[in-house]
Amino acid sequence: MSIISQLSKSLPKNIIISGEENTRPFECDGLSVYKQKPLAVVLPNEISQIKKVLEICRKNKTPVVTRGAGTGLSGGAMPIKDSVVLGLSKLTKVISINPQEQTAIVEPGVRNIAISEAADEYGLYYAPDPSSQIACTIGGNVAENAGGVHCLKYGLTVQNIESIKIMTIDGDELVFSRNDDGLGLLALMTGSEGLLGIITEITVKLTKKPELAKLVMAGFDSVRDCADSVAGIIRHGIIPAGLEMMDEFAIQASEEFAKPGYPLGSKALLLCELDGSEESVIPDVDTVVSLLSKASSIRVSKSEEERLLLWKGRKAAFPAVGRISPDYYCMDGTIPKRHLADVLEKINALSKHYSLRVANVFHAGDGNLHPLILYDAGVPGELEKTEEFGNEILKLCIEVGGSITGEHGVGVEKLDAMCFQYSDAELDVFHQIKAAFDPQSLLNPGKAVPSLHRCAELGNMHVHHGNLPHPELERF
Amino acid sequence: MQTIGELQKKVRNASQLRITNSVDESSDELLNMKSYSGVVEYFPEELVITVKAGTLIRDISQTLRKKNQALPFFIEDDEKTIGSLYATAGSDLSDSVLGIQIINGKGDLLNFGGQVMKNVAGYDVSRLLVGSMGRLAVITQISFKVFPEKMAQERRVKIEKKNDHSPLRKQIEKKLKDVFDPYGVFV
Repeated sequence: MSIISQLSKSLPKNIIISGEENTRPFECDGLSVYKQKPLAVVLPNEISQIKKVLEICRKNKTPVVTRGAGTGLSGGAMPIKDSVVLGLSKLTKVISINPQEQTAIVEPGVRNIAISEAADEYGLYYAPDPSSQIACTIGGNVAENAGGVHCLKYGLTVQNIESIKIMTIDGDELVFSRNDDGLGLLALMTGSEGLLGIITEITVKLTKKPELAKLVMAGFDSVRDCADSVAGIIRHGIIPAGLEMMDEFAIQASEEFAKPGYPLGSKALLLCELDGSEESVIPDVDTVVSLLSKASSIRVSKSEEERLLLWKGRKAAFPAVGRISPDYYCMDGTIPKRHLADVLEKINALSKHYSLRVANVFHAGDGNLHPLILYDAGVPGELEKTEEFGNEILKLCIEVGGSITGEHGVGVEKLDAMCFQYSDAELDVFHQIKAAFDPQSLLNPGKAVPSLHRCAELGNMHVHHGNLPHPELERF
Repeated sequence: MQTIGELQKKVRNASQLRITNSVDESSDELLNMKSYSGVVEYFPEELVITVKAGTLIRDISQTLRKKNQALPFFIEDDEKTIGSLYATAGSDLSDSVLGIQIINGKGDLLNFGGQVMKNVAGYDVSRLLVGSMGRLAVITQISFKVFPEKMAQERRVKIEKKNDHSPLRKQIEKKLKDVFDPYGVFV
């Protein structure tokens, strides 16, 4: 009996999708350059059905790819050949909200923004805000350890969850909590990209909504001046709620698209949001303004409308770039902030070398770069050239002591780049951790951690915390 | 002062080893980390400090205080080493961990995480090992996210840990010990 018949026999028919055409919407996630159709997609509307799906897949040794809303950007939820996609987007119950404890218990398919909407009446919200927050699910956020623009002050997903329920590939349930005595299994599971277990319930922390938020916008004549100002603000003891930078090209594209009133001609733009009580925000704004002596223009939001308008340009940066190029590739690396100006200079040099334009938007507070490489998939070889350029950027990130991914995950996209960041012995630890939870390797196999064989074929360009083999060689 | 190479050699040559931070003596069965100490790197504008595991918490706090920054987790006794706190702490400390350098039971030197705030490449081993009681690996170096002093104060809440005795959890923890310490060196 085929796996589809087995699934149909034990589960309601209306939750199973199969066939070439019907499974097409699930053939990729937000990284649409990689596509693969699964055998079937199951969309449980009750948690208990997950156990049944796992049982059948286990019996048939069929890989299971867990999926939230499919908004991921690294191919983590892209189906594997002959796999079953376990889509949890219909499990959308907010089970309970506890305003005293400032927690909410939710099913994995609840959208990120829906948690904040449900908590709004208590003056609370869920702090991590990935840019896909209107669509992405909390289960996917936990699986990817999603970030956003407010991480510097409020943390990533891992700091904003209290506990999770998981189901192992064997169908056993476990609870991992912040209060556990023993190993940090809650943290291990967060960001494990669907390779260790299925997240079936999440207790999130809720944060009190700030009394006041103000945005300071500043234009600069040089990237270095802007980067120095970022360091100056933090050195002064101010932790902004959001601290974003854009380069000249990104400023221009966003201004043309969203018309927020950005200073055209500036080489760099800084958006610095301060939030909290009125007594703290007002003096902090004055301090920040005084620290921006190198800025060529400064504007402070005078109303909530103005604050949102200034943010709109930043939030629209991706579609704005998308408008001026047939395709764009969004990279995601992190670096220690002190190397920012140098890294941007090198990215611009690489841009000339590859003849591909690049716009840079940057979570400046936490060192998370998002270079957007503009290309045309219709031109033969251009995607490959773009990927090569992207890998060079990631190598740069590691050379200065950063990471190949800050918040998008490894998925299938960054398997090669993982070989630059980790040694064989370190990668082997990852493989063994996977085996400890999933010895038959049925949960999202082949994602997140490259095989040692793959790295060997790449020539083992392992860059160890800035110590590159043969540092005397020019790399571009 | 021991070097990393000496620590690795000691792990490789030992059949059983207890990691200690509290006493000054050392023997074939005892790995004293207290002399492996010092601030490796500190960048106030990055909010990141990297320290060797044997560094006294008091010394780390002193370094940070000069720049009006502090460790943002619960500290009961600052005469202890940061390594011993890492070994016994919970999620309050792990929230601030960015990366670790360890020696596994085979004597290999491994790095997980890093010195940046956002890093989702690979499983989060640097937070997994918080609270591992020195039974999985020798933690040699830790990088922390720090905060301005006032914000750090607000975050210093003690976590009441609860023991989950489920057999399945124990089984997983046992398997994870075998990943890092396949010969059962660390006792």
